[in-house]
Amino acid sequence: MSYVIGVILLAVITSLACALPGVFVVLRKNSMIVDGISHAVLPGIIVGFALTQDLNSPILILGAALAGLLVVLGNEWLSDTGLLAGDAPQGLIFPALFAAGIILVSMDLQHAHIDTNAVLVGDLNLAVFPALIVNGVNIGPEYLYVMLAVLAVNAAFIAVFYTRLKLTTFDRQFANVLGMRTRLLNTAFMFLVSMTVVAAFKAVGAILVISLLVVPAATAQLISKRLSVMMALTAVFAVAGALAGFWIAYVLNTGTSAAMAVFYGAMFVTVALTAKIATHIRRNRRSSKSTAAAISAPNVGAVAGE
Amino acid sequence: MPKRSWQRRGKAAMDLIEFFSNHVFRMVFFGTTVIGIVSGALGAFAYLRKQSLISDVIGHAALPGALLAFLMAVVVFGINGRNMLLLIVGAVVTGTLAALFANAVAARTKIAIDTAMAISLTTFFGLGMLLLRMIANNPYPGKGGIQDYLFGNAASITRADLTTSVAVGALALTLMIVFWKEFTLRTFDPVLSTMLGFRARVIDTLMFSTIVIAIVIGVKAVGFVLMVAFVVTPPAAARQWTNTLPGMVALSAVFGGIGSGLGAYLSISLGNVPTGPVIVLVLFSIFLMSLLASPKRSIVVTALRRVRARKALRRELMAEGRNP
Repeated sequence: MSYVIGVILLAVITSLACALPGVFVVLRKNSMIVDGISHAVLPGIIVGFALTQDLNSPILILGAALAGLLVVLGNEWLSDTGLLAGDAPQGLIFPALFAAGIILVSMDLQHAHIDTNAVLVGDLNLAVFPALIVNGVNIGPEYLYVMLAVLAVNAAFIAVFYTRLKLTTFDRQFANVLGMRTRLLNTAFMFLVSMTVVAAFKAVGAILVISLLVVPAATAQLISKRLSVMMALTAVFAVAGALAGFWIAYVLNTGTSAAMAVFYGAMFVTVALTAKIATHIRRNRRSSKSTAAAISAPNVGAVAGE
Repeated sequence: MPKRSWQRRGKAAMDLIEFFSNHVFRMVFFGTTVIGIVSGALGAFAYLRKQSLISDVIGHAALPGALLAFLMAVVVFGINGRNMLLLIVGAVVTGTLAALFANAVAARTKIAIDTAMAISLTTFFGLGMLLLRMIANNPYPGKGGIQDYLFGNAASITRADLTTSVAVGALALTLMIVFWKEFTLRTFDPVLSTMLGFRARVIDTLMFSTIVIAIVIGVKAVGFVLMVAFVVTPPAAARQWTNTLPGMVALSAVFGGIGSGLGAYLSISLGNVPTGPVIVLVLFSIFLMSLLASPKRSIVVTALRRVRARKALRRELMAEGRNP
């Protein structure tokens, strides 16, 4: 498989693997928790790397995902104490974990040569190495298969728990009344998100992964009223952004993930503005039409307006 | 240098006279303490507005501003790109823009505020990363170590930087004191504030600008990514000890100052440990102690009170049972 195709495939698969759980992250109002997770997995990644010496190791991914889960559970605990106001519980634990991660990096634990900059930004163009070779045939980057596995796990989880996720997202209290274990489901889902963040950080970096998770889903939310439509649109936006981001980065000779994040942001603004203008025009047309109808045939207009 | 610091680790911490007679150490200590005091005091308002996390957005979004300021300085003016004042101006502009963008998205679309903040944060940070890459790919003078904007490098604080930090920080604190009444009213009763004729948008912009300043002056010592802890942690700790606004702002500033000073001292005397992260851990410890053991509402005190109340109740019921 050629280098460029490897990078493009990796960008598309990674963006899909992140965007899929992103739909529920956005709807459940967990976006800033993902921000916390993405910072907090740093110490997990470093300790994991020191132990396994392999960034693609499943043990590392699951171990670091536990560090992300620590943030989720810690936030919940802090909120439950009732001693803190507003969104402060979400902003207390992750900086401490992130700081611990940076100190670990600076101590050069077990010669884990991880560049903090690379952890934050990632590098898609480097993530395609090493290639996986089966029977002497290069079948694409090894890391591509890691992301494919993550995508498969995410898709399977959402498919199996679709109804439950939907119900707990839109009416948590009703789900509780039905006897659904909403907290357990939430924890499992956040673990999945955490795992996705860890798996994707090598390609897109710990901070820009938020963009892949949140922005396509938020863009889709702007123009959809049904969950199924929103999910389909999210996938479309995610892939379009991945391809455009790759192309921009290729032309400008910069990092693919940063270009993707900027493109996603621009896409969100464009769709938001277009949707605003479209509603405005529609509303104007409707009001002028109904005025015209009311003038020509007041009785019919009154009935139709009901 | 690393070797010496490893040897030092076994011994007791460096004594204070040795610490303060070193120019670099002094700069680090006073620089970080000033940052801690200013961000602690102004963070109290962000906390009470229940928008602590906006500081995370501002911190990340300040990066492209600082880098644009660097490019402007080098390419347009041909001066030193690391000029602290220019850096602050650039960072304040993009930091404020990001905060306004997040609030506008939340107010005008159906996107919730937390998602709006995440979008703003990651888009501005992505822009910063693009600029960083661009600067790295081109031969600009004075670009060495520019990635320090991310995590800071306390040892690079010069006397001029310290002066600028103190001056800009003092400006932010002065604004806070001058508009104390307006800030308080807007924080606790926004409706009354608007009814009395105060312009909500003007006060909000002013309040967020002071918070942005508090975050931005930390860039050289702490870096943008960790500044969120300087704004969120001290007020969360201070809240456990006091019920009044002046008490909260003052105590938050004190916690910020002490945490930063202590953290700076620890990081230097341990050697080879970056200053910003150590300060964050010290601040977090102060917060945890406050949460667990502050005298009025902490977890331990509440638990003790509950045990005592249960005992008293049992005693009362027993007494009632004996002589009905």
